[in-house]
Amino acid sequence: MRAPVLVLIAILAGVGPIQAKKQPVPSPKLPAMSQGVVQAKEVSLVRVNVTGQPFDYFRPWQKKAPFTKRALGAVLPHGHVLVTADLVSNQNYVELERAESGEKTAANVVVIDYEANLALLEPTDRKFLDGLQPLELALDTVVGDRLAAWQLESTGTLVVTEGLVTTVGVTMYPAEVSEFLTYRLSIPMQYRDNSYTVPLVKGQKLAALLLRFDPRTQVLDAIPAPIIAHFLKDAESQKYQGFPSLGISFFPTRDPQLRNYAGETGKAGGVYITSVEPGLPAAKAGMKTGDIITAIGDHEIDENGNYVDSLYGKIEFSNLLGAKAYVGDSVPLQVQREGKPLTLNVKLEHRATEDYVVPPYNLDQPPSYYVLGGLIFQELSRQYLKEWGANWQKDAPQDFVYLDRFQSELFPEGHQRVVILSQVLPANSTIGYDDFSYLVVKKVNGKEVKSVGDLAEAVKTPVNGFHVIETLDDPKQLEIDATEAAADAEALQKNYGLPALQRLP
Amino acid sequence: MHRLRFLVCALALFLAAEADAQPNGQIQSSLVRITSTEVEPDYRAPWNSGSIGRGVGAGFVIDGQRILTNAHVVSNSRYLTVEREGDPNKYSATVLFVAHDCDLALIQVSAPNFWKGMKPLNFGGIPSLESVVSAYGYPIGGERMSVTTGIVSRVDFNLYTHSAIDQHLAIQISAQINPGNSGGPVLQNGKVVGVAFQGYSGDIAQGVAYMIPTPVIRRFLKDIEDGHYDRYVDLGMTYFKLQNPAQRHYLGLKEDDRGVLVGTVIEAGPCGKVLQTGDVLLAIDGHPIASDAFVEYEGERVQMPEVVERKFKGDKVRLDLLRNQQPMNVEITLGSVWPYFMQGHSYDVRPRYVVFGGLLFQPMSLDLLEAYRISDLRVRHFFDFFVSEQIYLQHPEVIILTNVLPDPINSYLMSYRSGIVDQINGRKIGTLQDLARAFEQPADRYVVNMVGDGPPLVLDAKQVEEARERIKRRYNVLSEQNLDEQPPARPAVAAQSNP
Repeated sequence: MRAPVLVLIAILAGVGPIQAKKQPVPSPKLPAMSQGVVQAKEVSLVRVNVTGQPFDYFRPWQKKAPFTKRALGAVLPHGHVLVTADLVSNQNYVELERAESGEKTAANVVVIDYEANLALLEPTDRKFLDGLQPLELALDTVVGDRLAAWQLESTGTLVVTEGLVTTVGVTMYPAEVSEFLTYRLSIPMQYRDNSYTVPLVKGQKLAALLLRFDPRTQVLDAIPAPIIAHFLKDAESQKYQGFPSLGISFFPTRDPQLRNYAGETGKAGGVYITSVEPGLPAAKAGMKTGDIITAIGDHEIDENGNYVDSLYGKIEFSNLLGAKAYVGDSVPLQVQREGKPLTLNVKLEHRATEDYVVPPYNLDQPPSYYVLGGLIFQELSRQYLKEWGANWQKDAPQDFVYLDRFQSELFPEGHQRVVILSQVLPANSTIGYDDFSYLVVKKVNGKEVKSVGDLAEAVKTPVNGFHVIETLDDPKQLEIDATEAAADAEALQKNYGLPALQRLP
Repeated sequence: MHRLRFLVCALALFLAAEADAQPNGQIQSSLVRITSTEVEPDYRAPWNSGSIGRGVGAGFVIDGQRILTNAHVVSNSRYLTVEREGDPNKYSATVLFVAHDCDLALIQVSAPNFWKGMKPLNFGGIPSLESVVSAYGYPIGGERMSVTTGIVSRVDFNLYTHSAIDQHLAIQISAQINPGNSGGPVLQNGKVVGVAFQGYSGDIAQGVAYMIPTPVIRRFLKDIEDGHYDRYVDLGMTYFKLQNPAQRHYLGLKEDDRGVLVGTVIEAGPCGKVLQTGDVLLAIDGHPIASDAFVEYEGERVQMPEVVERKFKGDKVRLDLLRNQQPMNVEITLGSVWPYFMQGHSYDVRPRYVVFGGLLFQPMSLDLLEAYRISDLRVRHFFDFFVSEQIYLQHPEVIILTNVLPDPINSYLMSYRSGIVDQINGRKIGTLQDLARAFEQPADRYVVNMVGDGPPLVLDAKQVEEARERIKRRYNVLSEQNLDEQPPARPAVAAQSNP
């Protein structure tokens, strides 16, 4: 999780000639810019001020303290402004600000893709972006190109830092769901307070957006224009679909013993399929564990899982599905099964975060919970685990981390949530239970609970006046008095400041 | 199960002062200084004998020409010598019995000269809080006896860190104890009230030292009367306090503050087929169990397991319980719960392993995970939940591919490290023995499936055979496997005779 960062409000600054045209009477507060440093129409940037307020998964009835982020947005055609999803997730208020004039307007998030870390904003005042030349995309960046990072001084002056593209490859994006094409640059950039979103430009065209930057090594990873183009094309459709996924895990076939075992006798190449997630596109197309994918469309896959891209050369085959294919496309996969060739036509789908048993992210959506007596029930999610901080994989309860990591093995049937008893607020009905926390709930009042909704339904029918909660691990069972639990409700709300005792999905 | 990990120093004390100043008498004629040369097994090169080290501890003479000390003083020892105050000779000694689960050992010296003038010490009871005790030994290795005094600070159950899994009664004292005090007696009014055995390193806590109290010592001495140490017995289940009125009501309990709830019953334990999750235990051997899991026992309020602690393998314990609100009673024949052992340290055993095709397979254990610092989430899960999720039923031993000795036949197999072996050529692998047998079966190739969604590991049998000598030579693998059974109750050193 990104720590809340309070950013100093940069001082507004104006840019000479254009501003003068637009605003014949410049505000006396705005210092005059030195002539000719940069033309505002070249800049095509607006400041984006965001006040975000993430949900508190340890106290799911409330939000954490608000904090403000400042960044730059790239002005695109159709009156849109492009930023990273990081910047605007869990936002309460988004504001655009003209760099040269300090003029502000509220904005809405039109489309957001947390996995590809991209979002489109739209000013409420449609004329707000007038006079700013929209950026076009430069799709042809390759290793060895120089890209310019665009940042703004507090005065509004454009600061340009050049960097060299050293690698084009596929990396995991911050949402930790999918890998996407990434440019890696070596760049001596200063990481400014307003650098949440930094556009990288090639010849006045947008080549990439900053994804992450390590100021110590001066290595910058960027979301490349082909991913942005995919996002924008998808955003034009009626309903945003997202990037497709196959639902497989694979392993290289470098080992001749493994190739031989899989029945492959011909030339080396292809990847060995180690698992196929039920219900996802590859499984629907009939793919099986042990198959070897040798080609996707016209692209042959080598034994390391790379294909030869016309622009980049060898690159991981997931790029064929990430940047180049869309949900709904039918993609022919060449497969070797027990030595025999086979073609499987996979109809691509997007796997939404809601389709996981333990959702990988929950942003802009309040967590569901249910308070029964002082027992607090929640659904297990990675967002919840991330409350343990950057080292959550080590610090969070290890059985929960295990459930998250191996969810597809542990819940092959899918279509459920893991309900947990996350903590106990001391109350009359929960005397003696104060030490229990982080328990996986199996049944409530004899009914299996696979969501907080199930739980809310189950508590409607207590067993002989008791709520009976069965847990996977010790203590295995807890009972509370149904009448007493109901009587506790008011005191709980008052003592612990709970605005409501439940929030269902 | 919480495994508290803290740094521990062993202690032993011995009284060196002259008789007239000594409230506990002439301790010099009972105290010995023990030097142990030990071989610490190397889990990362298990075919090697391991690293040789030397340690000093204390011990004291008890009846029957025996010397009592800590198990950790003589663990993994290959050669033992004892010295006594005022005698220039070193006498070689052998281990008679060792109890790693309560950190006690008995050693003997066969040279008759040694025993001349040596006086056995007698045991006392549990000293009262705030009473003064003296600890004797050879802290930080000195050659002359050292004495420290302190008071009894606390009497409670505590983790015995030598095994890292056993909890018994331990007495906290404020006497300074340091490495080298281990095995030394702690006396009060001329009687042994404990054996100094562990403490904290100075940066965690100071003035906190622990001794093994006499009930634990007496139990050890009784256990070995039949010539064999059987370990502590355990019920093999978890239980929970019943302090919630609604829960008590639901379970059909009276308002009498009695009863604890049974959580997990370890199938491999003594209660395995007898108790059920959800049973409510009301009394143990007729002693009522309070809802906070304490019982009145021999005039004191002690935790329920204390009743079992005093018993031996094969002894019986009677439990009164409520099952589905119906009263009943059961008799349990006590024994130890073997699945726990893997989670503790082991001593006096050589690491078990199999090398095949340059792949090193070893059964999971605390020592193994520490040696390799394995942080793999699945391995950690199998370790932590081995008992509570009854993983041992499927995997009595969890066989891990711990390392790959690089060779052309395994060039691509590095990424399989830390995998847990599930099947070989379709056969389930539950023990190291199973694995060795599976690799002995003639086959064209061996397909090893790891637990989980990983790829199979494939080894061509002919290539493995060709590579065998090459790998053995290159990595100096003296033996390709060690399949010895579980640790013998008595360590091999006990067999060494001492002229």
